[in-house]
Amino acid sequence: MSAAQQVAENAPVIGNPIPVGAEIYNRIVGFLYQEATLLDTIRLKEWGATLAPDLVYTVPLRQTRPMSQQAQSVIRTVQHYHDNYRSIMGRIMRLTETRSAWAEDPPSRTRRMVSNVQVFATDRPDEFAVVSYLLLTRSRFDFPDMDVISGERNDLLRVDGEGFKLVRREVILDQAVLGTPNLAIFL
Amino acid sequence: MLTKASYTLADGTPLSDLVRVPTREVQMRALSDPEIYQLEMDRVFGKTWLLLGHESEVPNSGDFVVRDMGSDSVIVARAKDGNIHVSLNVCPHRGMRISTVDAGNTQIHKCIYHGWAFKPSGEFIGAPVEKECMHGKMMPKEDLGLPQARVTLYGGIIFATWDLEGPSFEEFLGDAKWYFDTLFERSDKGLEVLGPPQRFIVRANWKAAGEQSAADGYHTLTLHRWLGEVGNYSKSGDGGSADLSPEMYGVEVSSPHGHALRCIDLGRKIKKLSGLDPAELTVEQKLEALPPPGMTREMLPQLRKHLSEEQLEVMVSMPPQVGGIFPNVLFAFVYIPQADGSVLGLTLLHAYVPKGPDQLEFVNWVLAEKDAPQELKDRMLMQSIQLFGTSGMVEQDDSDTWPHMTLAAKGARGRRSTLKYQAVYETGAPAGWPGPGIVNEGFTKDDTQWHWWLYWNELMNAKA
Ligand code: FES
Ligand SMILES: [Fe+2]
Repeated sequence: MSAAQQVAENAPVIGNPIPVGAEIYNRIVGFLYQEATLLDTIRLKEWGATLAPDLVYTVPLRQTRPMSQQAQSVIRTVQHYHDNYRSIMGRIMRLTETRSAWAEDPPSRTRRMVSNVQVFATDRPDEFAVVSYLLLTRSRFDFPDMDVISGERNDLLRVDGEGFKLVRREVILDQAVLGTPNLAIFL
Repeated sequence: MLTKASYTLADGTPLSDLVRVPTREVQMRALSDPEIYQLEMDRVFGKTWLLLGHESEVPNSGDFVVRDMGSDSVIVARAKDGNIHVSLNVCPHRGMRISTVDAGNTQIHKCIYHGWAFKPSGEFIGAPVEKECMHGKMMPKEDLGLPQARVTLYGGIIFATWDLEGPSFEEFLGDAKWYFDTLFERSDKGLEVLGPPQRFIVRANWKAAGEQSAADGYHTLTLHRWLGEVGNYSKSGDGGSADLSPEMYGVEVSSPHGHALRCIDLGRKIKKLSGLDPAELTVEQKLEALPPPGMTREMLPQLRKHLSEEQLEVMVSMPPQVGGIFPNVLFAFVYIPQADGSVLGLTLLHAYVPKGPDQLEFVNWVLAEKDAPQELKDRMLMQSIQLFGTSGMVEQDDSDTWPHMTLAAKGARGRRSTLKYQAVYETGAPAGWPGPGIVNEGFTKDDTQWHWWLYWNELMNAKA
């Protein structure tokens, strides 16, 4: 079973796939690219404006488990991120309105590569389930090492005028032991 | 008694010169030197009691988790007899790692290389092609089991050591136990983990995190300054600035074995919550106003059953909130202000597992009292993740800082710089302080961390 098939309890009911190139598909890919730009250029308040007030934002732990127990490789009790709209806004406030958010001051240089986007209808006409791959590089200070974070994003997007709001994001990471000293950045 | 044995590092420096006792300095090279690291693996991590997890992670027979003791991987498993065993995760046949996963349940740990098999207790079961006696005839089967560490459970927390004949865990904790009991041995059912630990790599020597855990108070003022700037923690609402220094008054306890506790005055919090002068409240009333982290008012009678009057007095006035268990454990039993004016208590344990001279694995367990209502556990879990560990807004700044110290300790000149622990307490314990140990009162100082280094120094220079 792939990580994509492991769904959280609050996951949306996924309906039919929407073909690549369909109008709504293209708009959603555009939103994901735009979002990557906002985060990579540290326009965090603008990113915050794309979040829905009922946001659930989580990053489960991973464990190395045998093939026969892959369901248990995704841990949703203790997680790396376990946030709602209010707490994400608190994180943004810390990063933008204090002068002492040292884990991102000076900020990391990041690249969010978003690919393999699949869009699905849900039981609500204005909400779409979106699965994508994320490859994120993070460079700090003058360190020659580049931290690489890879995973799969399971999003729920809600139509909001011409754009979208992020209602739910779960990022299934590939590392059981993260190779970056913290997640002071958004995935 | 440990006796001094001279040991000289490859460049001619006596090992005993790393810690300069008269001026309370430590040579920076200790934070990066591979030779020192190798010695530590035997002399520190081979001798002390190490945190491996909590028994609630392996509730059933056959349950196991794979953890590290210093640079060695071990299998922590519950055997049929209900006991927890800690076995070296190295196959005695040709040295393959036996368990290649993080956790699971099995009555037979079978090496995938040639098939030797072991019980959760580490006992050798047998090798394939038994009739041809694949395991040989030179050693009895009893000698082919996995090496066993000595295990103890303290408040359900699993500690183990390779020092089979050394001090007991109680002796190791020494005077600090009186205080740790108020955290870990205070309720009927004790603590449980709320899930497996977070794990991530920090490119820093384990001691950068270890010495900070010995109750460094000063870094809060600058590194965690944001706590005073925004949100529920902000001091600006009180008409002040972002000054966190009032929080740094209290009592600090250190121990000859390097354990440290920072005890923080609850007076202001109790006053804010109850509107009453804490000096006029009884122990009972103070507990009612602000129960210890993770406990509800309904659970308070349990405290009386497990703790002495003196321990309760400390708990309601200056309870330990952060500190460490030597060598690489940090505990946090903290009170976190909430948006609605209430206070939410959190309980966490970290191990900073050495992964080479310039790398550590940060392992973060989130705990709660087993008896606490689910709703409280859920809130504790979410708040813990938002403040501590991987994405935690407090600790992301810590983990981003330590690598710089380790890099600095590699410089030809930088390695000869010294860490300074020269802010010395001159106060002693507050009048009437009921607890044992090395106790000092007032604004945070360097004594607890200095005692941590003294014990490190003692172990490093002890005769093997
Ligand atoms: S190395 Fe384990 S059976 Fe040979
Ligand atoms: Fe800190």
